[in-house]
Amino acid sequence: MNYPVWELTFFGGGLTIALMAVIHVFVSHFAIGGGLFLVLTEWKGYREKSPAIIDYVRKHTKFFLLLTMVFGAMTGVGIWFVIGLINPATTSILIHNFVFAWAIEWVFFVGEIVSLLIYYYTFGRMSQRNHLILGWLYFIFAWLSLFVINGIIDFMLTPGKWLETGNFWHGFFNPTFWPSLFFRTFIALILAGLYGFLTATAIKDDAFRLRMVRYCATWLVAPFLLLFAATWWYVNALPEPIATMLREQPTDLLPFLNVFMVAAPVLILGGLLMAIRLPQVAKQSLAGLLMLIGLIYFGSFEYIREGSRRPYTIYNHIFSHSIVKKELPGVAEAGVLRYAKWTEFKEITEENRRKAGRRLFYLGCAACHSINGPTRDIVTLTRGYATVDALAARLSGLAELNSAMPPFPGTEEERRALAAFILQDLHQRQDRTSMPTIAQQQHETPAFDPAKSQYALLAWSEYGMHSITDSDALFTMRMPGSTINAMLIKRGPAPEVITTGVELRYGVETGFENPAGQVDFWQHAASLTDRELPTNTGLAGNSTSGVMQVDDDRRLFVAKELPVVPYKEGGSYQPYPLITIEAKDQASGAVLAATKAVAPVSTEWGCRNCHGGGWRKGVAGLSPVTAGNVLLAHDRYNKTTLVELAKSGRPVRCQICHPDPRGDHGNPAVLSLSAAIHGFHANTLKGRGADACFFCHQDAAPHGATRFFRGIHNELGFDCTNCHGAIEDHALSLLLAEQQAGKKAAEKRMRHLPPREVADLNEIKPRQAWINQPDCLSCHEDFQPPATITAFNKWTTRESELYRRRTDNMGIPCAACHNSPHALFPATNPYDAERDNIVPRQHQGNPYPLGANKNCTLCHTKDMKEEMHHPNSLRMMRNVR
Amino acid sequence: MNPATLIPAPDPLQVPWGWFQFLLLLTFFLHIVTMNIMVGCGFIALVKQLANPEKNREFCRDVSEKLTYSIAFTVNFGVAPLLFLQVLYGHFMYTSSVIMGAYWLSIVFFLIAAYYLAYLYKFKFDAWAVRQNWLLGSSLAIMLLIGFFFTNNITLMQTPETWPLYFNHPGGFFLNLAEPTLITRYLHFMVAAVATGGLFLAGLASFQHRLPEQERKARIKSGLMWFSYATMVEIAVGIVFLFNLPKPVLKIFIGGDWLATVLFFTAMAGAFFSVVYGMKEKLWHAAAALGATILTMILVRDLARQAYLKPYFTPADLPVAAQYSPMLLFFAILAIGLGIIYYMLRLAWRSAKEVRP
Repeated sequence: MNYPVWELTFFGGGLTIALMAVIHVFVSHFAIGGGLFLVLTEWKGYREKSPAIIDYVRKHTKFFLLLTMVFGAMTGVGIWFVIGLINPATTSILIHNFVFAWAIEWVFFVGEIVSLLIYYYTFGRMSQRNHLILGWLYFIFAWLSLFVINGIIDFMLTPGKWLETGNFWHGFFNPTFWPSLFFRTFIALILAGLYGFLTATAIKDDAFRLRMVRYCATWLVAPFLLLFAATWWYVNALPEPIATMLREQPTDLLPFLNVFMVAAPVLILGGLLMAIRLPQVAKQSLAGLLMLIGLIYFGSFEYIREGSRRPYTIYNHIFSHSIVKKELPGVAEAGVLRYAKWTEFKEITEENRRKAGRRLFYLGCAACHSINGPTRDIVTLTRGYATVDALAARLSGLAELNSAMPPFPGTEEERRALAAFILQDLHQRQDRTSMPTIAQQQHETPAFDPAKSQYALLAWSEYGMHSITDSDALFTMRMPGSTINAMLIKRGPAPEVITTGVELRYGVETGFENPAGQVDFWQHAASLTDRELPTNTGLAGNSTSGVMQVDDDRRLFVAKELPVVPYKEGGSYQPYPLITIEAKDQASGAVLAATKAVAPVSTEWGCRNCHGGGWRKGVAGLSPVTAGNVLLAHDRYNKTTLVELAKSGRPVRCQICHPDPRGDHGNPAVLSLSAAIHGFHANTLKGRGADACFFCHQDAAPHGATRFFRGIHNELGFDCTNCHGAIEDHALSLLLAEQQAGKKAAEKRMRHLPPREVADLNEIKPRQAWINQPDCLSCHEDFQPPATITAFNKWTTRESELYRRRTDNMGIPCAACHNSPHALFPATNPYDAERDNIVPRQHQGNPYPLGANKNCTLCHTKDMKEEMHHPNSLRMMRNVR
Repeated sequence: MNPATLIPAPDPLQVPWGWFQFLLLLTFFLHIVTMNIMVGCGFIALVKQLANPEKNREFCRDVSEKLTYSIAFTVNFGVAPLLFLQVLYGHFMYTSSVIMGAYWLSIVFFLIAAYYLAYLYKFKFDAWAVRQNWLLGSSLAIMLLIGFFFTNNITLMQTPETWPLYFNHPGGFFLNLAEPTLITRYLHFMVAAVATGGLFLAGLASFQHRLPEQERKARIKSGLMWFSYATMVEIAVGIVFLFNLPKPVLKIFIGGDWLATVLFFTAMAGAFFSVVYGMKEKLWHAAAALGATILTMILVRDLARQAYLKPYFTPADLPVAAQYSPMLLFFAILAIGLGIIYYMLRLAWRSAKEVRP
């Protein structure tokens, strides 16, 4: 941030450095091992009095000289040039702290040049003894160069005590100095054998060629044992965070780790193959191939080493975006643009937002990320983000979700500016500004005559919204299955809940009878549910119409898990289909009562905001692209093979692994579904209000196509956070329970989540999803008007205490009179204002809870004096319309 | 935009700046001499090769054999001053390098090309005789281009007032072409190279007793003439360069600063004597005069840089977090290294007299 940034686009900083570095190390290590190879082979020639060997060494020396002194040495200077250009701040630290190490290395470099030039030009013109001395001197100088550079390279990975002392020697002889030195020395010997093949296979005489190729094969194969030991030592010398990171095998390093593991035996095998008698052409080709494998082998090691110190360039000291760790809090507060010297913008305005974002990209991201380039392409990485807000959210959780990334150092406004540059300039993508249009629906209210009707029929949905995932070919998180409850009350001075002698039939609204025509659930049901499910049949065996089951304990009729989807025939999105319920006398078949209730169901998951893809059906639905990307992300983060499973026709439901009180027990070692999803995403949504919820629960958003928060609390201006808390607290409460259950993964997700409502994490009450929920009575204490409007942290303790399960003193479910959660009477449905209020409208001509305004006659057919149902029930409606 | 706000914060030094200053000037001297020999010899050989290939064939062969060494040592002796320059002026130098990033990085690739071309020129001197002009010419052209990039970077580094132009050219394709001293400064280095190259060739010939005496003398004379005439041109270029300097910089050499003035006139005297001895064919006198001139010119150049940067920075301002042991080790290793190098060179010289084993 101190320096200007060379604005590379396609190449990006990472690739430019990697290209130069990998080529250089492959030649420079040869310059060391090859030096020993020269002098030992020359000595062998003298001992065996073999002019052929001496002649071979002379030729190999020329090749060696031309390769190492020109290409090797110049690319070495090249690395220096390139790191100075891409990461001047880190380069400056290395230069200033190790200036005399570099200077010492320079002395060795002079020694190398002088000795090698003399060695080459006096070949055959000097006494054997002296010439061998020169050869040895060359090797010693070359190895000492490695000795010095090795200290500095490993300083970047493991600066050790230097971080506290700033002492040269602490930095130089750092924790990985010795293992790395041995590792590189053995690599150098192996390379000597590999390069030896190139010249040895060119020897014309068959017998001598075989002899020299075998000799080189020994150089290649023998050091491997030592190399394996050094690798083991190296890995064990790594400090804990780096060792853990490597053990967890981060996805982007995994291919390199695999290559590193596989290439070694391949090289050994290749070396052995070279030792057998083969035609010259075959050996030359094999030699070339082995060189390539060697380059990949060594290159992958260097890549892993460099990758291991991310997000730092000097571990624990300076980040890859060139901010020194201890300065980060200051930068975060002031903002990058105020902190950085090389920016034309110090303030972000509406006019310069994208340009400032561009500057932020170059200052903070370009050292590693390319634009449309082959490595860490920012365009590919951000392809999924639909809106500036979504990308800004992801930027807020950079380090939290990816240990290779440094934290975004700037302000919220800077995050948005960067996101705007990436989305609007690089992707040419504009935020959607218009809201989905909602086609208004109609309904007919069944008849009820307060004077004559003998029965009151109450019906409500178990859930205020059943959000299903219609990405059935890929996975399911929630399957179709809307549960409708009904209660039949025989009116009279002593009203009676009727459960016998009657039959209650349900039927879904016209146009919703064939859900299989709208979603692919039944095609994949066998894989998703582990059982065969007839088309248009729900998980409880119910169809779109049929007879309701009696729940004797609750004195209810239940139509369980109905196969309802939010698409009407023709494909239009309608998340509030009506269910008609009719009560008939079992004996006579006479209709006793009828009513209607909505079966709220949505597919408006906001996954696409960050995971890409469009809607599956116009304004809602998880498209295959979105769902596929979700699985890709899951596979990447958790090393699963969900994409593969889906491709092979075996999509899964999340609950197979993730326990879910509403579904399966899953794998008890894995985070519960709610904890996993909220815990992960909360890391990118910190510091927000309900908008954090809407990123994923878009069906709750006031700008969405579903808008499921439609009860009285919405009308009063509440949002998700009033009851559920801010996203951090919400996630923490779930994660805490998991942590207490001994699940280690919880800690990783909690690490970067500060509590919001409470000062300390210990104050958050752990909870289980679907069981420990906000308790209405925590605000409506003793059923009175609320004293507070925050229900967070006061959870129901068991399922029976849940609003949707609770009853009043007379055993009438709360929801029977007040309606489903999120749709409390009086509700306003976005598709049809009174749709949720059909039951009260039908029975009492207003949208209020049943019995409101002292309307006891609804069931009792007379006024009552006692508050038998619950305290404060005998009163006039407070929130009148 | 105030350029002073763009100057990055420097990192602290390990020993007081004077040590680095000393090492910078010392190693830069080595670099500039070897660079001069490299470019100068290449240039003279190319001219002679173009003028009369047959007559100058053996001369050019000699140059071809030395050219690769001179590249090796120019680069090697360039590493050390670049290191010490980065220690003292890194925050200026990295900045200017980034501004001309594409050109700066291209130096590495150009250098490899020039180096291999020089090796081809040497190893294929007879086999590819028809391509000699092309090989030497392209290698030399690349060297000249690299020199031009260096001049760009060094001028850019010491003129922060040009830095805000970065915002119009952030892609690394910026050369400091509007800098008034750029061309004369560049020529000042390159013409000096021809002069030094001439003197080097004359000196080399004086040791080449294997040559026929007449040829040897002719080479000495020719080398000295190249030296003398190039030095005359150099003086002319230098005067133009001098008056191209910004006033505050110029002023220190004409009385504004006594040390700068004395050094400058010493250098001028050195140049004058170089020409005189060159014309008189006094090889070793000329060499001494040239050595003195280069040395004083390096000091003059450094004072000019300090004058350029005076409004912004002086190395004495750099914070020091003292640690002497690494430097002491460096000096010890340098001494040992030089001893071993001397030993190796002695082995090489002796080998000429040794019987083939």
